Amino acid sequence: MSEANDTRTLQSSEHLDEITCLMYIERQLERVRAAEVSAHTQECTQCRTLLRALERESRLLTRALFEEDEPLPARLAEFQERARRSMQWIWGVVVGLAATGVYALYSTYVVPGQTELEKAGFGGTNLLGLLIFQGAFWKGWQSVVTLLEVLALLTMAGFAMMIFRRRSRRGYVLAMLVATLLGGVLLPGTAGATEFRKGEASERVASDEVIHGDLFITGSRVQMDGTVEGDVFVFAQSADINGHVKGDVIAFVQSTRISGTVDGNVRGFTDSLFISGSVARNVLAFAGTINLDSSSKIGGSVTAFTNSPALDGEIGKDVLMFAKDISLDGKVHGSIRAKAGDLHIGPKAEVDGHINFEGDKDPSVPSQAKLAYPVEFKRWVHDSENSPRHYVWQGIWSAALILFGLVLFLLLPDFALQSVDNSERYGASFGLGILVLFGVPIAALIACVTVVGLFVGISAFFLWYAGLYAAQVVVGGLVGQWVLGRTRELWPLIGRMVVGLILLRLCTAVPVVGGWVKFAIVIWGLGAISLSIYRRFAPVVTPPSGASTPAPYAPPPLPPNTTVGGIQPA
Amino acid sequence: MSPSGTIEPTEVVAKARAGDAEAWGQLYHDYAPAIFRFCRRALPSREDAEDATMEVFMKLRGKLVQYDESRSFSAWLYKIAANHCWDTLRRRKVRQDKETGDLDTVPLEHPDASQLEKLIEQRTSEEVRKALAKVGARARMALVMRYYSDMSYDEIADELGVRRAFVGVVLLRARHELRQALESRAALATGGAQ
Repeated sequence: MSEANDTRTLQSSEHLDEITCLMYIERQLERVRAAEVSAHTQECTQCRTLLRALERESRLLTRALFEEDEPLPARLAEFQERARRSMQWIWGVVVGLAATGVYALYSTYVVPGQTELEKAGFGGTNLLGLLIFQGAFWKGWQSVVTLLEVLALLTMAGFAMMIFRRRSRRGYVLAMLVATLLGGVLLPGTAGATEFRKGEASERVASDEVIHGDLFITGSRVQMDGTVEGDVFVFAQSADINGHVKGDVIAFVQSTRISGTVDGNVRGFTDSLFISGSVARNVLAFAGTINLDSSSKIGGSVTAFTNSPALDGEIGKDVLMFAKDISLDGKVHGSIRAKAGDLHIGPKAEVDGHINFEGDKDPSVPSQAKLAYPVEFKRWVHDSENSPRHYVWQGIWSAALILFGLVLFLLLPDFALQSVDNSERYGASFGLGILVLFGVPIAALIACVTVVGLFVGISAFFLWYAGLYAAQVVVGGLVGQWVLGRTRELWPLIGRMVVGLILLRLCTAVPVVGGWVKFAIVIWGLGAISLSIYRRFAPVVTPPSGASTPAPYAPPPLPPNTTVGGIQPA
Repeated sequence: MSPSGTIEPTEVVAKARAGDAEAWGQLYHDYAPAIFRFCRRALPSREDAEDATMEVFMKLRGKLVQYDESRSFSAWLYKIAANHCWDTLRRRKVRQDKETGDLDTVPLEHPDASQLEKLIEQRTSEEVRKALAKVGARARMALVMRYYSDMSYDEIADELGVRRAFVGVVLLRARHELRQALESRAALATGGAQ
């Protein structure tokens, strides 16, 4: 608009329009154009009068705006002290709630799980490490655990630095994290005499074969009749371990049968696990069914997450079991701790330790069973959705989720903001969200089944799982913006995220509908996060060098001036 | 420009950034009246202005680490205030006023200069302030940013979300609105006197 005026040449007969006069007194015209206007006003009385009027108007405006017509309200005079006090109170509540949430999480899941697994013969420092990272699945995990621990510590340190930063900037914190990550990646990998075997239909290790190291074996049907001096990793539809394994057996198999001898542990993700041989150490299984035959002998403990286990063999140490229906008709030299719908104890059962059973029904115990102590039964208490306890827990979990969101927004502010923005692209978010919600776990599973992708698969699964919570945080951010208005700043955005999350938690607490609302929120948020990730890594298309691009704004030759001290017309 | 028109409070800002509560108090003491006046001019009510002033200083507390010492502190603070006030107005949907669609059709006529001079000469600062309360949110915001906090055209364009070339148009339209409000007040006063 003004540029258009700038290019016109003045005819002495025509008057200046008002916008040109205003631009002139505001010193926004190009030098040539300003000179033309100046020359014109030397001759034209009417235009000179208009310029003068506009200048006076500017002065009147400035004076009117600057005049101190109202003293500073008393409320504002006291504001500083009150703000400090209110902030202390708010932070006290936030920190208190967050600490309660973290403690609840720790005491409800981590401590009992750790204690029980330690009882069951698993040494270790944390639940995650016990279940997965204990060196059995992949020896490289050990260094990854260390890396994770270092990263966790640094993340916490970074979080603290961000909160208390006065002189340090985020770039420094990020640099530290990146340096650590790089350091971790550069850690030397483990080396070993590992043998890989891959068969299309079936793969067999003959009975006279001896493998001096670990064995990775895949195939539709796997049969291991020989001797392996290291660990055996099996990925197959069905696997028969009839030979001798001096290390551990790690099985990702639909149907696993172990009739041979395993000197180490057996750890399996399997649909059915049948053991009729001997395992010198522990059995850990995530399985549909577990059957320990009467001829089987487990030297250590048995830990299982399963549907229907039948324990008819001999178990040297404790049993920890989460199942639907448990059948016990063998010998257990340790104690039993079980959570299940039902517990059937057979007449041949012998248990040397305590039996703690938590379930829906009273356990059936025949008189012939030899139990050192009576079964300690605790009936499951299903929390009613109307009980105060339920609401207290909802509050605690909401606080934990808010804390998670706070850390997420502080660590990745730009990414968080971008994700919140992307969540407004409803179609793309929901479409991509559905794809990621179902696609990533499937892809992770496929990656796990292929030997090389084990690390990638499990990592992807954990990231996906964290994403389910992050999705709620992102949608909370958007809902908060709907309620309190948009913002591009971090702390106001965090405030909106907190408000949004509280509203979402209220919506998801509604019976029946709430579940579907949560499902939709997760899809929506996951999609928005995925969209942000995609945009971060999407290639940037640069225009060809010859393409015409708009020229950047060139500042006017004269500085802006609001006090109207410009060229004075004669 | 500092509120008292004196030198920039570089040392006080540096201390406040380092967490010195006294320096923070000093900053608040020095700048709160100016920011309150800014908010009072830009927002429709006194209560809004009080709330906005508090919120601007709470924001300032969080943002102080981002302050680039090579820039004018007061200009930077006004930018925060402008951003907050415009955001408040936008939330109330007053931003969707009619000027948005009219930017391309600015009148290029030559107004009656002597009549304009007469109008301006007869009006007091108080009348201008009262008339200012009657004009649209965008117009008021533009006038306050330009003639109170001396923001550049680039900064105004950035805050209002318009192209820089249209800032002059926005300001001119704002002046027209203000003149109309002054005239209607004058007409009312005349009518009341009769």
